[in-house]
Amino acid sequence: MRLNVMNRSVKVILFVALAAVLAVPSVVNSQDVATGSATATVLTALAVTSTAALVFGNVYQGVTATIANNNAAAGIYAITGQGSAVLSIFMALPEFVALADGSDKMTIAFSTTDASVDTLGGADPTTMAGASGFQNIDPHNFPAAANIGSGGTTNIYLGGKIYPTIDQTAGAYTGDIVLTVAYTGS
Amino acid sequence: MITKWQICRIPIKGQHLFTGLLIAFFLLIGHVKAGVLVAPTVVFMDEHKRTGRITVQNPSDEPREVTIRMSFGLPTSDSLGNVFVNLQDSGITDIKAATSWVKPFPRKMLLQPGATQVVRFVARPPKDLVDGEYWARVVVTSQEGKTSLPSASAEGQISTVLNMIMQTAIMLKYRQGDQVAHLKLNGVEASQEDTLVNVIVDLSSTGNASYVGMMHCRLYNADKQEIGYRRFDLAVYHDLKRRVTFPIASYTNSGPYSFELFITPDGRKDIAAEYLIRGNDIEYSVTVP
Repeated sequence: MRLNVMNRSVKVILFVALAAVLAVPSVVNSQDVATGSATATVLTALAVTSTAALVFGNVYQGVTATIANNNAAAGIYAITGQGSAVLSIFMALPEFVALADGSDKMTIAFSTTDASVDTLGGADPTTMAGASGFQNIDPHNFPAAANIGSGGTTNIYLGGKIYPTIDQTAGAYTGDIVLTVAYTGS
Repeated sequence: MITKWQICRIPIKGQHLFTGLLIAFFLLIGHVKAGVLVAPTVVFMDEHKRTGRITVQNPSDEPREVTIRMSFGLPTSDSLGNVFVNLQDSGITDIKAATSWVKPFPRKMLLQPGATQVVRFVARPPKDLVDGEYWARVVVTSQEGKTSLPSASAEGQISTVLNMIMQTAIMLKYRQGDQVAHLKLNGVEASQEDTLVNVIVDLSSTGNASYVGMMHCRLYNADKQEIGYRRFDLAVYHDLKRRVTFPIASYTNSGPYSFELFITPDGRKDIAAEYLIRGNDIEYSVTVP
């Protein structure tokens, strides 16, 4: 186990070095040979990650289930990159979830207030402050002013609602949510 | 010429170089638990160097299936100055699109936890390509490397899980011959609505390359005191309207206001200076009616 952790650390270090070299071909010249000083230019990468899936858990036939975007069970995406950079965010949302064998489907819906964008990058949707981004917005239409927070991370919280029918087949239902992120300034 | 605003210089002694880089990097990705990381965020290629590369890393604890595809999508805007990027995978008619002749390798991979993969791009442009800059989007898609179906906790129950799939779309620029970056200011519309001052800046790129720079916006009150400042990374490929909003609730009786615009190619921290095509500066000011 410890060996695995060490291997991971070594790989991360190598990646950091590699990323720095790739992202910054013009590494600045050394400034003081006698003391072995060097300088490096660190440019940001862009990472879009999912830190928590939107999970409705077990639901019951004929009983609608709702997860608010400030609920602990909300889905969480994290976008990490250059602080204050403006983003274009698009989310492709499913209209239903289905059993693995496709034998039954269940309607899922996202309202115009089911998303929040936390530019402070807080990891907990239950504690987002209203002033730290965009609260209760439409996940089908993210604001053009959405950006990576000055701290380098912005989180998106997503809620939703599912509608099991009275004769919904029991089983495990899944669906895909696709988040696409691009810088608008490059 | 590299200015102090274009780079972040970190003086580090000898063997501590990696440590410094590591700290800086983790400060940026401190919240990452799953997904992939892509660097750099713009790929540059040209007629002399027809290959490019990005690095993709999986910093999570789970294997990630990663696919790479070429798409097209420039920053565009609506009449209200909202800027967005719409990806277009087919039916691309823009003559500056490089989507059809730039290929990524590999296109699909399974990244183990902590693993890194270099993705290379090869350009095979048409022989009669005229001078200028050509564009494509590299779309990096990642999801769980293995399907993890939820299981109902008891027979007869219904459970649901939504898979979170992530796409990062970064710009690829191919440069042919001589390039010129030039920006034209078509107009500025400024208005006051209750406790907001809204400004829409209308811009056009008139060079044969994209204009990349910084847009500085300042709002002054009647006493010429600065009461608002906004700064944006700017990239104009064809035409672009950008809206700037200033809240003035704290200054409601200090008008008339004046808006000052300064656009410059200087100040970009995300692109190495050698890749910047220096365009013109624009300065403009207007009184908010």
